[in-house]
Amino acid sequence: MTAWMRLTCLAGIAAAAFGGANAALAGGQMNFGDETNTSANDGPPFFGFIRDSNGSSIPGAKVTATVKSGGALVTRSNSMGVYKIPGFAKEIDPKDVTISCDKDGYKQASTLRRPPSDPKDPIEVECTLQKE
Amino acid sequence: MARVLMAALGLLLAGLQAPAHAQVLTGTVGSAEDSAMEGVLVSAQKGGSPVTVTVVSDAQGRFRFPDGRLTAGDYRLRIRATGYDLAGPQSVTLGAAPADVAIKLAKTADLAAQLTNTEWFMSMPGSADDKRPLIECMSCHTLERIVRSTYDADGFVPVLERMLTYANNTIQARAQKRVAAPTPNEAGARRLAAYLATVNRSAGAWRYPLRTLPRPQGRATRVVITEYDLPRKTIAPHDVRTDPQGHVWYSNFTENFLGEFDPATGVNTDYAIPVLKPGFPTGTLDLEADADGNLWLALMFQAGLARFDMAARTFQMFPVPGAASDDAMQQSMVMPRADNADGKVWTNDVARRAIMRLDLKTGTYERIDPFKFLPKGGLHAPYGMMADARNDLYFLDFGDENVGRVDAVTAASTIFPTPAPRSRPRRGMLDEQGRLWFAEFAADKLGMFDTKSEAFKEWDVPTPHTHPYDVFCDRNGELWSAGMASDRVLRFEPQTGRSVEYLLPRPANIRRVFVDNATSPVTFWAGNNHGAALIKLEPLD
Repeated sequence: MTAWMRLTCLAGIAAAAFGGANAALAGGQMNFGDETNTSANDGPPFFGFIRDSNGSSIPGAKVTATVKSGGALVTRSNSMGVYKIPGFAKEIDPKDVTISCDKDGYKQASTLRRPPSDPKDPIEVECTLQKE
Repeated sequence: MARVLMAALGLLLAGLQAPAHAQVLTGTVGSAEDSAMEGVLVSAQKGGSPVTVTVVSDAQGRFRFPDGRLTAGDYRLRIRATGYDLAGPQSVTLGAAPADVAIKLAKTADLAAQLTNTEWFMSMPGSADDKRPLIECMSCHTLERIVRSTYDADGFVPVLERMLTYANNTIQARAQKRVAAPTPNEAGARRLAAYLATVNRSAGAWRYPLRTLPRPQGRATRVVITEYDLPRKTIAPHDVRTDPQGHVWYSNFTENFLGEFDPATGVNTDYAIPVLKPGFPTGTLDLEADADGNLWLALMFQAGLARFDMAARTFQMFPVPGAASDDAMQQSMVMPRADNADGKVWTNDVARRAIMRLDLKTGTYERIDPFKFLPKGGLHAPYGMMADARNDLYFLDFGDENVGRVDAVTAASTIFPTPAPRSRPRRGMLDEQGRLWFAEFAADKLGMFDTKSEAFKEWDVPTPHTHPYDVFCDRNGELWSAGMASDRVLRFEPQTGRSVEYLLPRPANIRRVFVDNATSPVTFWAGNNHGAALIKLEPLD
């Protein structure tokens, strides 16, 4: 992955994780579009490419982020083969989040984690799938 | 316990059971502008009867009430064709001979009175973000009420703040106050007030054109709609379902009764639910069947769940311990479908944005936070609930954009964000193939989550600002949906994307939708939550 591509991903992550106001409601009770800026409460987002063993990106792969203390979040890689996860509760150590990937006809070969230099920055975890 | 109301006795006279005396009513619909108008809804209601039957004119402007639906007598006629009023005739007398009436329409002098919430959304200037908070308002009243007001921005703020003090189970015929009112989000209220003052009549007449949806065409005209007025205007039918005898059971959103309605006789029976918290809003929301076919109700601000024994016709109450001292305690959902798997019934704790699970043996509840590993401060709201055969819970995160699963054994949760952002999935159903069908209230989409592959599919509803509330997948794999905005019932084929929208005869605020698969074609049922009526829709194909 080139630095430029990583930068593109980071820009996308920032928009997805920190840019959008949230939906306008609390528990079946209106409160006039109240918005919460949750960024101060977030742990770092996760993102990365899903690739095959030739390095080609794989769209539509299932990506599961499993939290050691219980709970998981499941998303899919987009048409570029990239997934984005906005982050977990601040008290969850990012080291306790495992990223795995899956797609029909493939099995997971490896994951590669690239820790950011700043702990608040998104964490890149690339996942490689191998044809079965 | 049963309070049988025979107020609908006139129904027998309306001749629902008397095909031997059935009359034929046909006719044409035209106006000065158009001699043969397609897609005009023509409704006939016999004097004193709570039953209104509606058909739709075809491309030649002709309509025909199906044989056997009407009997001899005097009928009031009504029409729905946006932009027009009924010029005449206002009534028709059916006797021995077939009646063929020429219905004349005249341009309306008050188009605004005919707009649906969807059409107000279409007409009002402003951004999607400006309009988004208004989808909450429809829960208690129409948008017409807002746009006809004359408040300026400052005048609107206290009105909006007062709105927060009402319980969600409020209709115009029966307003209910919350005991624990939330603290208003003042910045949000000011922003919304400023926007509303630009779309109401604070500066005189509306300065934007009123946009309307086209009349039904083609397939959308091939339908018969029957409305059954309930005996009190304060009845707010929320969830509906039919039983094998063809009786319609409904939750009453504002009164503490479970309703049973027999369409064949017109008899409505109210089963009084014991009041657990005097002084708190009454009424129930979710109505679901357990594994034995008994009905469960989520008690809203009465706090807890009720099981209705279908044989004994009695309630067993499951109050939430400690709810007496918790003014905000509210249960909107219940999921007892797989209670035979582990003796547990799912519900929610609205105020805490959490899930609760009732242990039937002990009567105790446990609270589960399915979002505990996600960032705090999100606007999550577990809402529509489904369960599989193991009693794993699937829920819709109505505040945000997720489908969630809670494992029946470990109570661990898995969150699946919908592809559409800010979708606010609301209600739905889990079919026998493990497909979860649901409505994306804020994203104007129908969704499907395959619980086996854990993959989503989404389809845009054909009319923006429909804000679908719920979806039902029928035995043919067709989807049925409706909501609080469009006065239309959507029928949708997910395989082809083919759809038809059936316009309803009256303003209809629809929540839960239900399809009776035992008829051919299938029959759609819903409650008119603000109109104190049950709606039966029979497609002719």
